[in-house]
Amino acid sequence: MEETYEFTKEDLDEIEAIKAKFPEVMPATLPTLWVAQRRFGHVEPPVQRLVAETLGLPESHVHGVATFYTQYYKERKGKYVLDVCTTTSCQLCGGYKMLHYLEDKLGIKAGETTEDGLFSIQSVECLGACGYAPMMQITNDVYVNNLTEEKLDKVIDSLKDGKMPEFESVGMPLLENINNK
Amino acid sequence: MPEIFIDGKRYEFEEGEDRGLLQFILDNGKEVPFFCYHPSMSAPANCRQCYVKVGTPVKNRETGEYELDENGEREIRWFPKMQTSCTTQMQDGMVVHTQETSEEVARAQKDTMELILINHPLDCPICDQAGECPLQIQTYKYGPEGSRFEVKKQHKPKRIQLGPRVTLDAERCINCTRCVRFTDEISESHQLTIVARGDKNYPMAAPGREFDDPYSMNTVDICPVGALTSTDFRFKARVWEMNQTPSIDITNGKGTNIDLWTRDNLVMRITPRFNGEVNDHWMPDAGRDAYQRFNENRLSRPAIKLDGDNQSKTSWNNAIETFAETLESHGPEDVLVVGSPHASVEENYALMKVFNLWGVNNFKFAPHIEEGTGDGFLITDDQAPNTSGVKLLGYEESNDLASEVKNTKIVIMLSDELIDRGVLSKDDLKGKFSILLSTNECDTAKTADLVIPVTCIAEHAASYVNVEGRIQRSFPAKETKYTNRSLDLEMNQGRLDRFGTNFDNWVTEENKVDCAPAWEIMNQLANRMGLDVSFGRGREIMEEIAGSNPAFENVSYERMDNEMGINLNPSNKQEATA
Repeated sequence: MEETYEFTKEDLDEIEAIKAKFPEVMPATLPTLWVAQRRFGHVEPPVQRLVAETLGLPESHVHGVATFYTQYYKERKGKYVLDVCTTTSCQLCGGYKMLHYLEDKLGIKAGETTEDGLFSIQSVECLGACGYAPMMQITNDVYVNNLTEEKLDKVIDSLKDGKMPEFESVGMPLLENINNK
Repeated sequence: MPEIFIDGKRYEFEEGEDRGLLQFILDNGKEVPFFCYHPSMSAPANCRQCYVKVGTPVKNRETGEYELDENGEREIRWFPKMQTSCTTQMQDGMVVHTQETSEEVARAQKDTMELILINHPLDCPICDQAGECPLQIQTYKYGPEGSRFEVKKQHKPKRIQLGPRVTLDAERCINCTRCVRFTDEISESHQLTIVARGDKNYPMAAPGREFDDPYSMNTVDICPVGALTSTDFRFKARVWEMNQTPSIDITNGKGTNIDLWTRDNLVMRITPRFNGEVNDHWMPDAGRDAYQRFNENRLSRPAIKLDGDNQSKTSWNNAIETFAETLESHGPEDVLVVGSPHASVEENYALMKVFNLWGVNNFKFAPHIEEGTGDGFLITDDQAPNTSGVKLLGYEESNDLASEVKNTKIVIMLSDELIDRGVLSKDDLKGKFSILLSTNECDTAKTADLVIPVTCIAEHAASYVNVEGRIQRSFPAKETKYTNRSLDLEMNQGRLDRFGTNFDNWVTEENKVDCAPAWEIMNQLANRMGLDVSFGRGREIMEEIAGSNPAFENVSYERMDNEMGINLNPSNKQEATA
């Protein structure tokens, strides 16, 4: 039996507001997929179908858009999705080491989800934070920068308590600080 | 009139023309390679193959005069980058260089092609598209000699059954999106999209959905590579082994123009043929299955009921003799002639003329219309190709053929599966002598007392009038036992036909059906009965019809061939000229 999904009244109001922003319906696809992912935690095919029906767009179009972006989860993921960057800068600064540390710690491989449904790990391409390598992003949200094994332990513990790490502001290095070194 | 200079030659175009530059170049008999562009669909310019160098003349803003260089030539301001000609709008004075006059353009096209080919498999030897593949042809003409890509190609899914009739090989796809645009713009089923955009992309239906569009196989035709293939035709024949004969779709009343592809006197596949007045570049999937009717379950040799309900094959002489004797033992008033919307104008005419001369005046036909099956595009409610034609010949439309049959003793039926489609029942024909001239095995043929096999549309040249009153004709594509490709000038010869002999292992005598055109059978019958009538070939019969029936005035095979069909409907004619 395929699960059935339905938007709540608030979701539908939000989608109406999104639609009102654009002269046509098609551009509303992306934000509406976000609404759906926030509500259901993923955009599996039945959810894509719901989005298509809600917007009155072809299912194929919504599917094509959803498959383009890795940030939309086309299958169920854990509550926290740890996107570890493994592109050049992070790779050089130990991105894979961090990824493998996480894999060993949580007992899963990249692309898998823990049995308790709490964590998924993904190895992703550049997230544009090369200055703070190695880094990861949690569930399309907070960046955790300058990763170390200790920092990962701390982050995992706080996530297990249901606490997302704080946003870390990393400012530009000041010239005098560099000169002082 | 605005002018444009392409490769140094001057051309004129209409003001406000919506043709893109690429179409203009093609229409003027020149060539620029392209993949994603299709004249009936929007141009997304995503294959980037039709690059040309474009510039416009510099005008003095104050005087409005063209600026001239020191040689007195117009000064040209070139667009900073190459332009995709499919999306370039023509402007007055524009100067265009294609690959023919610009090394730079040739180089750009070659490099684009190299990128398109990066993930394309080298499986042309087993690919169905080989031989009619734009990618293959244009790579030979404009592409690089080899690949510099030394790492592993991207692997994508193969042999995906997209729908009941279309199979996808994603690795061959170059993501031109013609198929996606076809479902969006032409068939409007919106069933396809490009998924996983990036280097792993390919067209796909939404998850859990089938690509079951009634026009789905047109995507196979327009696919510029072998990515979308016909599930039915896959691996059946190479393009260069077949020969191609123009014909008309007989599965509905639209008169879609088609090509029959034959090999060894079997029709291997059917594809649409362009006719802007009827079907553009498209045809419904249902029409493509008709090839089976031309090859399989054909009536071959006449058959006659001798003892009870058992038919047995008989000779042509005996069949004609029985036909004549049956008629002579009754009078013309005992005969009902049932014409057929499934048969051509010429066949219906020959039947009517002979029996009319003998004194019969009871000519009926049963239209084959299924309300609600049409879609306003290329599928019509009318299930027969020639309903208008039979009407114009003077056959009377009958919605209750069963009661017409009751009052007669002899029923002569032409190519119409009346029992199979529920117009008559077996009991209706009980106690009557029924004669059927037909093409395929069916319940009607099993019931008839005398069955005479006639040629189908793939075996004769004959014309059909579509629902809009447009008369179009077929060419013989398959040989019968009594025709010969090398002697019949209307027939094409494929490579195997031309260079083979009858003793080759690629000539199968059984593929030739023992049948004859209905008008030839009428010739023999008229001759046997002493009637002063004889028919030539379809071409001559049409001349005769044109001379005697005002509805067909001035109609000839020449005109049909030159004008791609003639509109017989006077009201439509006025519209066309207005």
